[in-house]
Amino acid sequence: MASPKGGAGKSTCAVLLATGFARMGASVTVLDCDPNKSLTRWASRGLPEGIALLSDVQRSELVTVIREADGDGRIVIVDLEGIASQIVSRAISQADLVIVPMQPTALDAEVGSEALGLVQEEEEALGKEIPHAVVLTKTSAAVKSRVQRELEAQLMAAGIDLIEPSLVLRAAFAELFAHGGDLEAMMDDPNIATGGRVDRAIVNAREFTEAVYERIR
Amino acid sequence: MNASGDRLRGLKARPKNISTEELRKVDRVGEDRGFSDRTPRRKPGRKVSPRTYQLHPKVLPDTGEAIAAEAERLGLTQGQLIERMWQTYRYGTAS
Ligand SMILES: Nc1ncnc2c1ncn2[C@@H]1O[C@H](COP(=O)(O)OP(=O)(O)OP(=O)(O)O)[C@@H](O)[C@H]1O
Ligand SMILES: [Mg+2]
Repeated sequence: MASPKGGAGKSTCAVLLATGFARMGASVTVLDCDPNKSLTRWASRGLPEGIALLSDVQRSELVTVIREADGDGRIVIVDLEGIASQIVSRAISQADLVIVPMQPTALDAEVGSEALGLVQEEEEALGKEIPHAVVLTKTSAAVKSRVQRELEAQLMAAGIDLIEPSLVLRAAFAELFAHGGDLEAMMDDPNIATGGRVDRAIVNAREFTEAVYERIR
Repeated sequence: MNASGDRLRGLKARPKNISTEELRKVDRVGEDRGFSDRTPRRKPGRKVSPRTYQLHPKVLPDTGEAIAAEAERLGLTQGQLIERMWQTYRYGTAS
């Protein structure tokens, strides 16, 4: 998950993919490379079966840690800090898919495209393709905003792969961090009062995970 | 869940080999775009002792505080007070 833009939705994507792939039966390793430790906090409230989390992964060890965690039937998810740092370029060099989450705003598009530019330069430097895609986040469930339509058209024109569906703005996605675990557990727990439609969030997250799976299989 | 587990059999690890030279290239490309090394630098100097939570002297905190208070009362530095204490300990007299 790479975007130097803070709050774009990297950690949310990471949790949704980790829990989604774990439900599909994969062994998932999540590398929390963000000193703010969003993922480690989430995990501390209950880590679903099939997921291992490595906290505090440093730039110098990243390549080795990814190689050790990778394998057939395994998914390695790297959550990065929302900042332009060298660990981002290293993570990109190892990725089978770089996901750049972007809110449909001009600022997110501009700062997020820094990550896309970096991917393209690394492709040139290494002489290999590094698959990458944008996912729009916090989109409106009701209507597609003008900015979102324009951004989609812009990305399309630039030949950037756009993951469909986008991740809709849903309270359940934000609440995941407070409760730990996954959306299904959240829905099943009668003690969790959520302000949002968890069922719709689950469908959205599943379709998103499927779309990512199609790109890495 | 088993059926979906079978689905994931298409999930094959791709080789991940990167030479030192290539990694250097990656770093350089990133650096040029402002993706620089932001690893926090360790602070120089001696590490705080976990026992006393202070650099010096390595004594338990209440002892350290008592020494500090006494030194202040006498108008001495803690080091001067400790030198006196050493005298007493070693020779039985404060010189
Ligand atoms: N689709 C969504 N619906 C509702 N809330 C969301 C959604 N995506 C993200 N959020 C919320 O927005 C905030 C920022 O999201 P997140 O932490 O995923 O971004 P990030 O890119 O990881 O940020 P950082 O750069 O700080 O690591 C969080 O509070 C998160 O819960
Ligand atoms: Mg984050």
